[in-house]
Amino acid sequence: MQPEAVELVVLAAAALAFAVVFSPAAASRRELLGKGGAGVLGAAAIAAVPTFDLALLVLLALGVLHSVIGGKRSLAIRLRGPLVAVALLGLGAFFARVQGPDAMERFAAVGLVAGLAAGVGVLPYLHPIDPDEPLVSSPVAWLAVVGPVLAAVVVQRAQSLLLVDAAGAFGAMLIGLGLINVAWGSAGAWLTESEAAAWRYSFVADWGLVLCGMGLIVADGQRAAIVMLFSIVLGRLPLYLLSRTAVRDKSVSGRPVSLVVAAALAGSAPFAGFAARLLLLRAATQLFWPLAIVLAAGMLMWLPGSLRLGRSLGLPKGRQAVGIALVLAVNVAAGLYPLPLLLAAHL
Amino acid sequence: MVDAVAAFVAWLGASVVVLADGRRGLALGAAISAAGMAVLALDVAGPVAAGSIALGGVVAATGRLRSGRAGWHVMPAGSTPRLVLCIAAALFALWIAAALTTGPGVSLRFTAMVVIGLSGARVLGADEAPALFSATGLLALAIALAAGTGQPPAAPWPFLAAAIIAGGVSWITPRIVRAA
Repeated sequence: MQPEAVELVVLAAAALAFAVVFSPAAASRRELLGKGGAGVLGAAAIAAVPTFDLALLVLLALGVLHSVIGGKRSLAIRLRGPLVAVALLGLGAFFARVQGPDAMERFAAVGLVAGLAAGVGVLPYLHPIDPDEPLVSSPVAWLAVVGPVLAAVVVQRAQSLLLVDAAGAFGAMLIGLGLINVAWGSAGAWLTESEAAAWRYSFVADWGLVLCGMGLIVADGQRAAIVMLFSIVLGRLPLYLLSRTAVRDKSVSGRPVSLVVAAALAGSAPFAGFAARLLLLRAATQLFWPLAIVLAAGMLMWLPGSLRLGRSLGLPKGRQAVGIALVLAVNVAAGLYPLPLLLAAHL
Repeated sequence: MVDAVAAFVAWLGASVVVLADGRRGLALGAAISAAGMAVLALDVAGPVAAGSIALGGVVAATGRLRSGRAGWHVMPAGSTPRLVLCIAAALFALWIAAALTTGPGVSLRFTAMVVIGLSGARVLGADEAPALFSATGLLALAIALAAGTGQPPAAPWPFLAAAIIAGGVSWITPRIVRAA
């Protein structure tokens, strides 16, 4: 198993433990433990199997299981994302293996990038969201639990499947797709009417930075991606979980804690998102400095959406307040000293 | 020659899955396509892989007969675009497999591409569980078959896993759970 994937599985398990402890209702806790545990095990299996084809089959099985556990969206909508991802990734791997002109390698790169986007649920394949759907059956499970491990596996396999030219095209496509997701996600989190949709768009914007980091072939880009994924799995996901009750009740708050949460979500210092952004800008500067300007401009777009999401947490009390404090503390620790995260991923 | 016939049979079965809405039509398509893929798997990965694909196809077809719209419903009214898709996908896959790509295994390349493509298209176009799960089973088998296009001889594990998925998914009866 590659170290990045192992680390992401551990982070997903930690996020699940957090969700179980800080979930508001007992019934929801049991559901989280059972179905969420299955999701984490599935993600671990994607990382653990020896070949890419087996990883795709595990992804397929996980997609089917996720679609039949219930929820408010139709079966077809829940099943389409993972299945289209498997089909595109399968075609990508196929084109990478066959002998032929260089265009085949480019097709392979397109298939792998498009399949990754469909599997995670980012543009151009956003999974439809229903605000009343339980967390385990919502698309957020793909964005924050399975998606990070899948991305690590696909990027690592792509490096072995693709030749140098196609690997460059693969990286360029990841950066392009990342920038589109940054713009679309941050604008969506700011301007959309529904708070639940705003949270989903904020995940998409974060994923944009992850894709940019993965596409930048220098070491700092990979480091930025892993810290950003940490910020998604142990930052945005727990805060989203804690906000669900307030979002359902449509209660908003303008207290100082909302500003602190907004700062964490926007990736300001000293939270983990800041370290990730810093690493990403450094990587972009090393590779092609105008990209750093575009990224920096895109990062400013996080502010309005994050202020809105910070207010959507309502007035935290009891268990919710403890959960928020814990998430913020963990993210400050990772932001101030991200080295253990990077060492665990061998970066 | 046997490989070419097997590839045609696999495409025909996948096309029937795309064109059918009834349980009999879907079951027949899954069985035919799996039979074609099993013959191709025999060449690239040996009898265990071929047996797995064949068994997976039989279980998938049997399971499909349990639920779904009664009857065949092959090419119902309004299915002309699907028919065009099946033919166009076959021509496109044949062009890539035979003219663009090189090396032995044209039938294998054609089958892997066309079945993955048609299964993906069926998933995008279908709304009912039986059609979705039939396409899912075929997609799993085709992903395993595509593993045979690699340089080293393919191991039987992807075929076994794909057969389990294809067989298992056809026996699932989805339930609707309301959010708490």
